[in-house]
Amino acid sequence: MTDLRLTIHGGHEVEARLREVLAREGFRIVEPPRPEAGGGAALVVEPHGHLPREYARRLEELERTILELRNLDVAKSQFLTNVSHELRTPLTAIVTYGEILRDGMLGEITPRQREAIESMIGSCRQLLSMIEEILTYARTNAQAISIQPSDFTVDEVVRIVHDMNASLIERKSLHFDLEMSPDLPTAHADRDKVAHVLGNLIGNAIDFTPDGGRVHVDAHRSPADPRWIEIVVEDTGIGIDPVHHELIFQEFAQVDASRARIHHGTGLGLAIARQFVRLHGGRIWVESELGGGSRFLFTIPSVEASANAESAAA
Amino acid sequence: MLVVEDSDAIRTAFTILLEESGYTVAAAPNGNDAVRLAGERSPDLVLLDLGLPDISGLDVARRIKGDPATRGIPVVALTGRDDDADRDALLSAGCSAFWLKPVDTQALIRSLPGYIAGAAQP
Repeated sequence: MTDLRLTIHGGHEVEARLREVLAREGFRIVEPPRPEAGGGAALVVEPHGHLPREYARRLEELERTILELRNLDVAKSQFLTNVSHELRTPLTAIVTYGEILRDGMLGEITPRQREAIESMIGSCRQLLSMIEEILTYARTNAQAISIQPSDFTVDEVVRIVHDMNASLIERKSLHFDLEMSPDLPTAHADRDKVAHVLGNLIGNAIDFTPDGGRVHVDAHRSPADPRWIEIVVEDTGIGIDPVHHELIFQEFAQVDASRARIHHGTGLGLAIARQFVRLHGGRIWVESELGGGSRFLFTIPSVEASANAESAAA
Repeated sequence: MLVVEDSDAIRTAFTILLEESGYTVAAAPNGNDAVRLAGERSPDLVLLDLGLPDISGLDVARRIKGDPATRGIPVVALTGRDDDADRDALLSAGCSAFWLKPVDTQALIRSLPGYIAGAAQP
């Protein structure tokens, strides 16, 4: 430790101010044994040790950085929300006009024109869902998201998701069926998030299944714990090679370039789905072989599981 | 039929869609015009976008449903995905339904007679 000798020329105010600054900076003031000749007060100061002083400085720096980051994060979220709104408005107009043209409201169209318009609408809808995904992902990361559980039946959520995709299912002539186990308990989970997960899985199933294929949704008690609900979304699509089963749940993963070329996707959908399922303490996984269709499974708590958890916590 | 939508392109698209489906259409680009036109024209239904420049779509719905003269007009809200929190409020304000944008226009057109008939019952 090195002493720092200071001779102060000035009044008490200067000395008081200096004492304050030195104390804040982590110096200890050692009063001199006797006043130095030549006028003015003298102080001998020494650091408390390098560590506390350095520590205080770093702490201050960190606090400043955290504050800046927080502001940036809020600004980023706000920016994304605004941009997303600005992007969606013209796309909504394009989709709506496309459907007006497709349905022959402004004059008859030929089958080839119809095909071209269908493709235009489809592309716009893909673009919209990608914007939604990026936005959801940005939000999920920007804020600590929490789940707001309520009681609902799996059946009603599947039907809502089905209705949202009804036109697409019809256009691809897919067979969609829902099988609910008769002893299925009421779900106790965040309804919007479960709907989001189901929307993603059913959307993928529709995308990756060729025309005339089958999409099957099945809900039953989880074999691992009957107080949990296991939901299965199964398709007769192109399937996924087992080596990719973990990869597809990672952010920005597209299994291969050809799959990405044929089918849309930000590569965020399943990462978000996994995040939402994990927030409930559940699990999401896939069973599939290349060329053999895919089975996506996930678990959510039922009212029985939550009642148990609450009584266990009490 | 009253279409409330601030985007010119979408408002025109819905006007064409509804006119070609056989409805007479009035259109409002903002909330205040919407409330005024609902009173003047007594439309069979209000198709209401939520993101309006002056007053919120929710407030428009509340004003239409709060006025005895316009209370009976069914209101169908068009929402974005960010408007989750507003949905319960919309329903309790008396909206018949909300549709996620961009709506499936065929499905919407098929549903309109049901909303109009539903509101006619006590």
